[in-house]
Amino acid sequence: MHSLTARRILLHDRSTTAGSILGVVAIIFLVGQQLSVLFGLFNYMSVLVDHSGADIWICSKNTDNINAIGTLPTRYVDRIIGLPEVEWAEPLISTGGSVKRPDGKYQPVQVVGLPRPRLTGGPWKFYQGSLNILLDYDGVTLDRLDLPNLGNPRQYDIMEIGGKRVRVNGITQSIRGFQGTLVFTNLQKAREIANLSRSRCSNILVKVKPSISIQSVVTLLKAVLPQAEAIPTAELSVNTRRYYMINTGIGGSFGFSTIIGALVGIVIITLTMYTNVLNRQKDFAVLRALGARKKDILIIVLYQSLYIAITGILLGFLLLALFLSGTRDTRLPSYMVIWVPPLHALFTILLCFGGSMLAMRKATSIDPASAFR
Amino acid sequence: MAKSAIKLQGIARDFFDGKTLRRVLKETDIEIFTEEMTIIAGSSGSGKTTLLTMMGLVLKPSAGKIFIDGQEVTDCSEDELATVRMKKFGFVFQQAALIPALSVLENILISSIIQGGSFAPSLRDRALQMLDEFGLRNYSQAQPQQLSAGQQQRVAVVRALINNPVLLLCDEPTSALDAESSTIVLDTLKRLSHDRDRGVVLVTHDPRVFPYADRLIKIEDGTVISDTRSHFEEGDRE
Repeated sequence: MHSLTARRILLHDRSTTAGSILGVVAIIFLVGQQLSVLFGLFNYMSVLVDHSGADIWICSKNTDNINAIGTLPTRYVDRIIGLPEVEWAEPLISTGGSVKRPDGKYQPVQVVGLPRPRLTGGPWKFYQGSLNILLDYDGVTLDRLDLPNLGNPRQYDIMEIGGKRVRVNGITQSIRGFQGTLVFTNLQKAREIANLSRSRCSNILVKVKPSISIQSVVTLLKAVLPQAEAIPTAELSVNTRRYYMINTGIGGSFGFSTIIGALVGIVIITLTMYTNVLNRQKDFAVLRALGARKKDILIIVLYQSLYIAITGILLGFLLLALFLSGTRDTRLPSYMVIWVPPLHALFTILLCFGGSMLAMRKATSIDPASAFR
Repeated sequence: MAKSAIKLQGIARDFFDGKTLRRVLKETDIEIFTEEMTIIAGSSGSGKTTLLTMMGLVLKPSAGKIFIDGQEVTDCSEDELATVRMKKFGFVFQQAALIPALSVLENILISSIIQGGSFAPSLRDRALQMLDEFGLRNYSQAQPQQLSAGQQQRVAVVRALINNPVLLLCDEPTSALDAESSTIVLDTLKRLSHDRDRGVVLVTHDPRVFPYADRLIKIEDGTVISDTRSHFEEGDRE
């Protein structure tokens, strides 16, 4: 009876019900959209680390962010390879550069040099070409999303980065870093662009043999290389994201926007559900007079809140899915972690119940004697 | 044989009008019996609806006691009183007061399962049969707004009867109806008042309703000024 009455009242008062559902949709979409952009930015922040294929990164001492590092002696690679627990170890160069556009302007880029022939940590999604194109000394990749910024070069065009000749052998799909355009090339070309000596590199990537504990190898490497930092890949990824969240104000900005989105939704839900109860005061008074207890009225309003929450959540996620689908492979970073939607839905249901507290209070305080007035 | 449906002993009710506490219903002793139509008559503000709502356990008395089946219910909790209302009383309000969001049939059935549960087939059949007796079966799935005022009031009567109440409490049930609809409703209530183990209490200010009374209680300024059975004073007739 309670659920039927709740449904009937909602369907009867379409405009206020639609308003309440809109409030829930607002929470789901606005909060979800903010979170998806934040997660998308997270991906940009630690993209090189997350797709390196390595278990451990060797960085300069006190590294807390993969994009702000010093250099290391390349000879460290020999020390690391000698350890029986290590499957492979490869140097990597990461440096800034400037691409000269056809119109004569310069565009800053981040150049990543990968060791041949393994090309560890290389691009993982191509629009044109494949990983092997980086075996060519002059070969570089540009990302499809950045082509307009770089003068719209095509595959196999010759360009200049840092005054050095390169050939656009491949176009990657949606591989971008937090600091902008990522240009992948081989170690030697990157060294030439960075004007870095052969004895130096930016990082060393380490792969641990199967069934060996990564943490044990980290401890070993710290002992073997006391002048460097050995960090598990996952930890470096988290540290990098944390660095940007705190030091750039991104965390505060997105947190504030998310809270505003949730507040907007709660306010809409509160006002519309309260209006719904006000509109139905006489009905609730009649139900009380006929024998409904306060808790029966409360259950009806709770059911209303639940139906509104479920409908709004479904519509909100549909809208969010359309947004995510529409922004995939575009310049707007958007990504949704799989565990977030269920938590977001639960959180929204709780917000919905919270928003309907005023309505519940009003409904249960209605005097049954008012049915006689 | 008629029996006591409800007994009010020393009942009084105070209202705070913003400045002072005013006794709108003075100490009153009334016992309502089954198998008769009791009409409580009085002008607007006389306290008749206050008396009715206290009889219906909707309003708590400021003084006095209420007995049902010999048991005092005055100090029962709100939930207990709600359950007694559901089981023992049927209400017919001034303007039907059907829930517009529910169909005619649902409006009737909700009286029975208002504290939870689902519509049992036997209950549904009984409701449809009663609608049939009132000539409203074809409207069972209609929304209340699709019915005339008179039809809505008849549905309200069916709703009041669905739980087989001991007492039907009617608050000016014909005030919003035309003459023809009023007659139909009053005739129906009169017939129901003579059912075994059922009584009807009707509150009105309209003297045209008085002839339907088996018992006429007049109330003025919160005081019962007369309580007569089966015949009327000369001045009460049209």
